[in-house]
Order: sequence, then C-alpha cells, then structure tokens
Amino acid sequence: MTPRGTWRAPSPSTLLILWLVGGLGGGLLACGQGADDGSPGAKPPDTDTAPATGGAGLGLPVDLYFPTVDGRLAVESRELPPSSEPTARIQGLVEALLAGPRSADVGLVRPLPKDVTLEGVYLGPGGVAFLDLRTPEPRSPPSVGSREEMQIVYSLVNSVALNVAEARRVVLLWNGRQPGTFAGHLDTSHPLAPDTGLVRR
Amino acid sequence: MAQDRGEEEEPPPTTEPARAEVDGGAVPVSVAWTPRGLLVAVEPMVRRLGGELREDPSGEGWFLTLADTEIAFGPGSDAITRGTEIVDLSRDPAFAPTAGVMAPLDFFQRTYGDLLGYRFEWDVDLGQLTIGRAERREVPVTLDVVHLQGVTTVVFQFPEAVRYQTETTARGVEVELLGASLPPSDWGRRDVEDPWVQNVELRETGFQIGLRPGARSESYTLTRPFRLVFDVYRSGTADRDLRPEAGSRDSLRPPQPREGLRTIVLDPGHGGEESGAVGPSGAMEKDLTLLLARALRSRLQSRLPVRVVLTRNEDAHLPLTTRTAIANQNKADLFLSIHLNSAAGVHAQAGGAETYFLSLQASDERAAQAAEVENRVTQSDASGGETRDVPASDEGDPLYDLQLILWDLAQSHHLSESQRLARLIQEELNSTLGLRDRGVKQAPFKVLMGAAMPAVLVELGFLSNPREEERLQDPAYRAQLVDALVRAISRYRVLVEGGVSEGGETAAAGGER
Repeated sequence: MTPRGTWRAPSPSTLLILWLVGGLGGGLLACGQGADDGSPGAKPPDTDTAPATGGAGLGLPVDLYFPTVDGRLAVESRELPPSSEPTARIQGLVEALLAGPRSADVGLVRPLPKDVTLEGVYLGPGGVAFLDLRTPEPRSPPSVGSREEMQIVYSLVNSVALNVAEARRVVLLWNGRQPGTFAGHLDTSHPLAPDTGLVRR
Repeated sequence: MAQDRGEEEEPPPTTEPARAEVDGGAVPVSVAWTPRGLLVAVEPMVRRLGGELREDPSGEGWFLTLADTEIAFGPGSDAITRGTEIVDLSRDPAFAPTAGVMAPLDFFQRTYGDLLGYRFEWDVDLGQLTIGRAERREVPVTLDVVHLQGVTTVVFQFPEAVRYQTETTARGVEVELLGASLPPSDWGRRDVEDPWVQNVELRETGFQIGLRPGARSESYTLTRPFRLVFDVYRSGTADRDLRPEAGSRDSLRPPQPREGLRTIVLDPGHGGEESGAVGPSGAMEKDLTLLLARALRSRLQSRLPVRVVLTRNEDAHLPLTTRTAIANQNKADLFLSIHLNSAAGVHAQAGGAETYFLSLQASDERAAQAAEVENRVTQSDASGGETRDVPASDEGDPLYDLQLILWDLAQSHHLSESQRLARLIQEELNSTLGLRDRGVKQAPFKVLMGAAMPAVLVELGFLSNPREEERLQDPAYRAQLVDALVRAISRYRVLVEGGVSEGGETAAAGGER
C-alpha cells in the first residue's frame, strides 16, 4: 500500500543530510510568531475530538499517545486499517493522532493545532522514520513551554516508535525542514527514541 | 519525617549498661529504653568501629564522618543527612547526661551498616547487641587505564553500584569495597607503563593503585554503568593549571575538579519573536524570565562574591547554542537557564516547579558526535591537512573509543554536578513555596548541551495554569522564587568550595518524569 501523502521536495539522501547536519532548521523559530492561529499562545481546543471510525476487530490494534491537560501523555487504544507497508501504518497513526482523541472526557487533547497536516512519511535506514508536518501558511512550531513541547514531540514519537516495529526512532520535519529544536527546549536535530516517562500509569 | 522541636517534651533518657559483641569481642555500651524505642550510646560505637564524631558548635547536633561521608544528626529530628541524602529514622537521637548522644538502632544500620558493611542485631533475651560484618556479595570488575595530556585515568567498572572507602598511603591509593568482594578470577597485579601509575593490584576485598613518586589522585564515580574513576597527575600541579600538550586538543581533557564558584551565567529563556509559553491572560514567558534573571543577578551579587552574567538583558532572540557559548566564553562555573512551563490544552491543570539536567542519552549522543568530529580532525592532522570523513564503522577504532571514553568522563562529571545542583534547587523551591514537587528530571534540552560546566534548566511554574500565571506576575512572589534560587546556589557553593566529598555515594537516577 502506498502512503496517501506524497513526498514532495526532499529525497532520502537529502533527508539524511538534514538529519546528520542537524540544526539546519534551527533558524525556523526565528522566522515567525510561533502561534497556532496567528495569536501567541493559542491552544487547540480540549474537546475537539475525532469521529469514531472503523469497527472493532477489523483492524490493527494500536496505542495512540495523546497529551493530557495535566501535563502527561495517556494512551487511547484504537484499531487502524492494517497494512504490510510500515510507512502506511505510520501515516495512519500520525493522522489519527492529529485528528485528536475520541475520549475528551478524560482530559486528552490533540498534540498540534487542527490545521497541521502530515505531508508525507519516509522510513530511512536504521529504522528512522521522518514525519513531514505542514501548516497551510509557513510558520514556526507552536511557542510553548518545555513540558508541552515534550508532550507534543513524544506524543508523535511514541505513537510511531512503539507501534511500528520497523520504526525505532523518529525525526520531525516542520514544513519540510528539520528544526534544531521544536519549541526552544528539546534537541530535535537527531532522531528521537520513544520515552515513556511522561505516560500516565 | 522530621519532627518539630518541642512538639512533645521527652525527659532525658535513663541509661543502663549493656554489652555489645563486636567481631567476637565485648564492648560495654549504654542503652536506654524509651516509649519510642531503644537508644544506644554513639560514642562507644565510634571508638570501636571507627569514624570521627564531633559536636556542632551551635550545640544543636553532631557530625559523624564515615568513609568520606558526613552524617549530621541531632535531637528533635528523626531525619538525618548522610552526605547529600536525607535518611529517615524510627525516632530522633537524644542526649543523656550520663552517656552523651544516643541514637536508635537503625541509625547505626543506616550509617555503619550501609557505609561500612556492618550489621546490628539486638537480642531481646540476652539484652545484648551483636555487631558483625554483613556477608560480602561478589562483583566482577573491569579495569581500564588511559593516559592523556598529563593525566592518567584509572577506571574500575562494575555491573552494579558498590560502596567503598579510600585511603592514601605511601604506596598509593588503597580502596576497600564495603559489603562487596572481587571474584578470584579478577585478583592479581597489573603493571602499567605510565608516568604516574606504577601498577594496579586487585584483591578479594578491594584494590590498590600503586603511584609513582610525586603523583596524587582524585576519585569520583560515574553511573550507567557504575564506574569508580581515579584521575592521577603530578603532585603540586593544580588540575586546572594543566595545559594541553602542544598540538593537542583542549576538548579532550578529562574532567576538571572545580575550585570554586566564581562566575555564574544566568539564561533568561526565549526572547524576541520567540515568546515561549503564553499564559491564558497573555503573560509571556520571555518577559517574566528576563525579570526573574535580572532580580536573581542582583540578589546573587549582593549575597555572594560571584560574577553574574546574563545571556540576554533585553527582549531579543538568542540562539540556544549562543547561550551556552556565552557561558563557555565566560568560563562560567555554573549555568542556570530560567524558564516557565506550559502544558497542553486550554484547560491545562499542570502546576509546580521542576528542575532539569541533561539526560544521559543526550549526553552520550553529543559525546559520540564530538568524538566523531575530533576523530575527523585527527585524521586530517595525520594526513597532512586533508580532512576525510570517518564512517560510523570506525566505532571499533581504538582512538574513537578512547575519545568516547574521555568525552563520556568529562560530560558525566558535569552531569553529576548538575544533578547535585538541580536537587538543591528543587528542594529550596519545594520547601519555600509549597509548590507541587515535580522532582528533578532529565531531558535532552538543547540549551544544556555543550555547556562545559554544571548546567541546569529550572521551570519556575506553569504559565498555562491561570493561578500560577497570576502569581508569577506578582513581584513579591517572584522575589520568593529568586530567594529560593539564591539559597540553592549558596548551598551548592558551600558544597563545591567546602570540599564536601561524596565518595562512595552512588549518584541517583534522574527521578520520575
């Protein structure tokens, strides 16, 4: 199965160079206001949940790691369409994550603003998955505190690396470039391994 | 938990003579039965089992020094400090006019037992205290000796943390493992071709590092895996005065013991177009961190003989690598990055302060990167200036491995100091402000990478929490935060400059996340 998103600009070798040199996108944060919808600090609504799709027992069981309002991550188990292609499974996971949680009543929230989309997925050597996140207009990643940055980043990293055996680490691209740091704290210039330290037990 | 003094007035304990059996010999001791348990006189134990006991000049407590670890204890508190650890006892020590300071049995177990491997048992029927050596567990050791730029580093690696005590003799450094022994297959003497180290001898209960004339050593521990490390160098040469040999790279020098806290670099988080977290009512992290950093600089300079440098003193964007570079250029002894937090969701409920130091994973990746860069330089030097890339397959190259070891040692040394500082900051914030304890944590924060000194990032509250946003905008509340940081840094300075040793203590992991 071919991933729905089309990989546009960077070739695999370009991506690897981006990863190796790191920090190329470090200036990204300097480029824009860092707002979700044009106003600093705007946050995605807590109660904006995804519609329930797919029937029980028909798909691949996965655990999605959503941020919670108490500053942690919580698992929402789902079933997604099965695929033999790891990139398709990654794409399904990330799109489900971006669509938001189904159970708003337990304090789960979407990791990124509603208008952030997944442009493409590339699975590189050594099990490194590249996620290309895009916004309609070029802007920096959300301007947030370190805890929220960790919630966003590890929501994506954990959901991919803990569900897809072929993906061991994750690189986040923002509008086609790899930021040296996502929101001014975490070093995102390297592939990130999953971290379950934030996961609510 | 600690009790308040005077909460419940207890009469001085009435003592009675008793007998303690130590390694088969009898020692007279005084004991006292109290409603809250048995007390045993401390002084006879110190005379028999070793250590140094002295009274606090204030008259409010005592200090016991064992295996390079200082234990502070006194009446009125059932918590004692053991090095930098706080240990709870079943009851507080007490003073008896006839026997001096007395302590519950678990005091001896948590001090002589944990540090020197003794075990204590009270026989109710005989009314006798039996003191013996706990059985030693066998732990294998791996030995490495590396010499570079005037310093020889001797590394003993164990599969688990061990406690130990060291003694410097005319022949060298004697190390006795406490409660552990080496397997017979590890015993033996290894001669070393080295300017400072003559040989290393491994025995059942420890080892000896034979030093050549004029050499001295300093020790510290690293974790994951647990390593006991000795830096050996020429006596009379302060470590910081060692200069790299001609053509060598300063970045490869092993960790340098710091002699004091002279320069502090404060880093107000974010700035310019990068606002950082924004509170529900619009307060921006970049503005508040600048106010906090300025106030902290002022308070530190008025309280301590230190130079304080701000990475930014205006609302301007500053790359993260520049912030660390400012600290390195100023030869800072401490780097503190000040931030305010946020959590996801418009109804985010998270609150409290948390203190971070660099995660080991991030440090290791940084070390690997740096070693790779250094390796390229070396290859370039060796090939007459032509640089060639060294692929990852060179990881088995001895030079690559050596560089990794040295980077690891240097970074881990800073990490252990950073952890110590982070713990003090978190303690002060918790106790002063009654904030929810979010603990000391580790994360791969970019601003902490590349700092050639202990470096900590403190999150002083959640701006996304409306209540905390309101408090953080109150100058009086910010002053409380600043005072807590000043106290933590003052305590850290005492530890660094007072030479308090943590020998034999295992550095704890980063704490919950």
